[in-house]
Amino acid sequence: MGLEQFKNRNVGTQNYKTLDVGVSPQTGMERFKQVAKRTVKGELFVGLGVVMKAMVKALFADDMHTVKYPFEKMPISPRYRAIHDMLRLLESGHYRCIGCGLCEKICISNCITMDTRYDENQRKEVSEYTINFGRCIFCGYCAEVCPELAIVHGQRYETASEQRASFSIFEDMLSPVDQLNLQQEYQGFGAVSPNADENIKQTPLAY
Amino acid sequence: MSQHNSINKGKAITVTIDGQKIQSTFGKTILEIAREHEVYIPTMCYLTKVQPIGACRMCVVEVEGVEGMILSCQEKATDGAVIRTNNQALHQERQNIMKLYNVNHPLECGVCDKSGECDLQNKTMEFGVAEQAFTARDQHRPIENWGYVSYDPSLCIMCEKCVRVSTEITGDEALKVKFGGYGSTIVNTKPEQNYASLGEAAAVCPVGALVDTSFKYTTNAWELEKIPSACPHCGGGCQMTYEVKNNKIYRVTNAYEFTNLCGAGRYGFDYANEGVTQDKEAFSHAIEAFQTAKSIHFSSQISNEEAMILQTLKQTKGYRLISHEARAYQKFMDAYSSVTGKSLYSGSLEEIAQSRVIIVMGSRLNDDAPSVKYHINMASKWHRARVAYMHPIEDRELSGIVTQFIKYEAGSEEGVAALLVSELLQAVELPKGVRSFLDDLDIGNLSAESNVGEEELEMLSNSLQKKSGFSLVIGSDLYAHPQAEQIAKILALLETFADFNVVCVPPAGNAMGISLICDLDDEAEGYTVGYNVPADFTLSALGDGDLDMPAMNQQEGTLTTLNKRVVPMHVALPYGGYTLNDIANALGVVEEYTIDYTPLLPQERGFQSVAFDDLPDYFDSVGREYRGYPLRRIKASVDRKFEEITEIDGFDGAVVYQCNPTEQFSAFTAKCDALKSESFLVGSEQFATATKLQDGEQIIYTIDGVVFDRVFKIDTSMKGTIALNPTYDKGLSGALLSSYRFSRLDFKRAGR
Repeated sequence: MGLEQFKNRNVGTQNYKTLDVGVSPQTGMERFKQVAKRTVKGELFVGLGVVMKAMVKALFADDMHTVKYPFEKMPISPRYRAIHDMLRLLESGHYRCIGCGLCEKICISNCITMDTRYDENQRKEVSEYTINFGRCIFCGYCAEVCPELAIVHGQRYETASEQRASFSIFEDMLSPVDQLNLQQEYQGFGAVSPNADENIKQTPLAY
Repeated sequence: MSQHNSINKGKAITVTIDGQKIQSTFGKTILEIAREHEVYIPTMCYLTKVQPIGACRMCVVEVEGVEGMILSCQEKATDGAVIRTNNQALHQERQNIMKLYNVNHPLECGVCDKSGECDLQNKTMEFGVAEQAFTARDQHRPIENWGYVSYDPSLCIMCEKCVRVSTEITGDEALKVKFGGYGSTIVNTKPEQNYASLGEAAAVCPVGALVDTSFKYTTNAWELEKIPSACPHCGGGCQMTYEVKNNKIYRVTNAYEFTNLCGAGRYGFDYANEGVTQDKEAFSHAIEAFQTAKSIHFSSQISNEEAMILQTLKQTKGYRLISHEARAYQKFMDAYSSVTGKSLYSGSLEEIAQSRVIIVMGSRLNDDAPSVKYHINMASKWHRARVAYMHPIEDRELSGIVTQFIKYEAGSEEGVAALLVSELLQAVELPKGVRSFLDDLDIGNLSAESNVGEEELEMLSNSLQKKSGFSLVIGSDLYAHPQAEQIAKILALLETFADFNVVCVPPAGNAMGISLICDLDDEAEGYTVGYNVPADFTLSALGDGDLDMPAMNQQEGTLTTLNKRVVPMHVALPYGGYTLNDIANALGVVEEYTIDYTPLLPQERGFQSVAFDDLPDYFDSVGREYRGYPLRRIKASVDRKFEEITEIDGFDGAVVYQCNPTEQFSAFTAKCDALKSESFLVGSEQFATATKLQDGEQIIYTIDGVVFDRVFKIDTSMKGTIALNPTYDKGLSGALLSSYRFSRLDFKRAGR
């Protein structure tokens, strides 16, 4: 599907289909006739029959359309921007964040705060990382700017909690280290482009 | 402006740079002339304050009629030269240099501290080097932690700036280049010393190779707010910039291209009095205390404006103002002026750096005034200056600079000054009174009493003969000497009659400003209010007094520096409590802000009537200083009467010398996390024998009413029977130590 269709702002010439809704009654007599007709036709039982059929299916054939939220949840688009996840390196289990501070800098609602320090291995270590979800507008810039794909948007869209801090601690956003095998590479905003492999150049360090 | 490498013959020349005709004088390099006229020539290794390094070759230019490319940082411009700073070939050359700099440079800008202010980053962008085209087999280069600074050899581009700074400026001579082609690296030859002055070397590093350990990986450079200020620790008032984020000082930087900052200035910044709120009750107690008080006793850690407030209070309320260090300095300088006929002294740091002969007297220089030591080191390295260091204790840290150490007995400074002056002024025409005073000196006796050999002084004066450019540095041992005024008069003869650049290094803090602004009294009387000094009612910026006061990095105001300038300080951290001005307002001396006193500073003492907000604070493109304004030297009445030299009252046995370790000046530097010094009484083995003390023994002694409870340590590098006694860790009471810096040690062992 091309974009031409969307760019056409001339509404009148597009192929809208008009539904056949019949003629609505005009006079009092016509209205009375319609009511009388519907009353004796037994359409009511058609509706009840549909409900009955669905009930039987749900009870005995285990085929129900209702999603039993919050016990069940609908799958959401991978591009959905919900509460952030901090990912880990699969090999070492160490968190991917290198503490560059770009997410803190780019955040337009100033909700990311981080502190880093010089650790005993003489590497940069993130000593504190919080996101104030009272301010976060889920714009996704942090995930887009992250050079290490360390901060991504996750799937946790339920933002009701007794305390905002329940979401915003670094450790809570990190993928649990014992469930590393479940960590999914993020496909959404800021992810590696599908043709990334083609764009990779050999570094001059190969000898 | 590196005057040091320009033999300024002063001949006017005309050069053409990129078609622009420029008038200049012979002796300046092409790069200097270009910078002076805002013509851009890219450089990587050039550092204005040291001699040209010539390692990067980025500054190449073309000169008509000369084949090939010329290094503009080293080549002096000649008359009529036609210079092109940029064309296709030069651009290509510079681009190739940048490509080579990027060989194997780690692509870790994301975590590098220098990112955002990195020369390599900037120039790589400028010359459009988009990828690393070359490579070399890499080697294992571990990151080294040298204490105050950390070194990452894989980021190093071998520009050698740090080595030059370490040798030419700070003089610690710790850093050396280890040559080895691609494997070249910088090595720290004295890692066990952990010099804080290496911070100066880290400051000039154009990449992230050499960085402050305390700052490393804590924040990104671009997020810090830069607040220009002046360092309040010693009397130097060096230029510095606080870099602040979220009300926390992350680091201190300076205009490293032109100025220097010692370890205390660079790492001693976290002494603020934090979390203070307006305590109305304490404030009303303070007002009551001021209303009953007869005297105000204060330390040197205050700004010119605060000193002016105290002086105004004295005029309206008749308080006695006591500040021992400043008072001693004031008396010394008054006596000094009575010989020179002018207030202040003649010398400056720039003149010291240009000197050929420098005499230092009465100061443990490396610990008392690092900026003076740096400038003496510059003279030593650039002009091979002869440096005579006259002091009772030899200083190992100065061994690389000092050409002649003249040891004298503690207490004999008056005799030493007389000996020195009579030797140096032998062939000079003097007024009768002065000549007869010098002729009447009993040289033999003085020499014997002070232990200064006549031949030592003769050697010194011989070395002066063929040279010009003499400097004399006078230190704070002399100010509190019982005969200080006589010493001042004798040494002032060298300024008046022998054309010496004399610098009387003020004691730590703003003692010089106080001595110029306040009419000080000698002793306190009656109920006393102390400001940063323990008294009946104590105002304290350390937060341990009866009313809190802002520390120096929490207030705006001006400082008077040893370079005879009045320089502005700005607020780096917030302060929520009361200030001295609030107290003055409550007492009826009304000005809205403390800085309203800046234009009111006494013009008859050399200050100018300039509002605080109009004080400039910058260096221009060639390093001329525009910070605040210079003090004027005012005429003083001349009175060249000398008294006879008093009998020298020598010290027998064990003597202690009040001397803080390097990087420590006061209770404020003691509060700083990065500056960690352990305070011991440090003496030689000889001292241990004389006192029968063991290494590690704890003793108790009292000096000026301050009780010291210290562990004694033997330092095998020291000689003689004088031990060093630090005072910085004594909190506010450190300001009570006001008598002569040498004193006899009467101690008792702890627990007996």
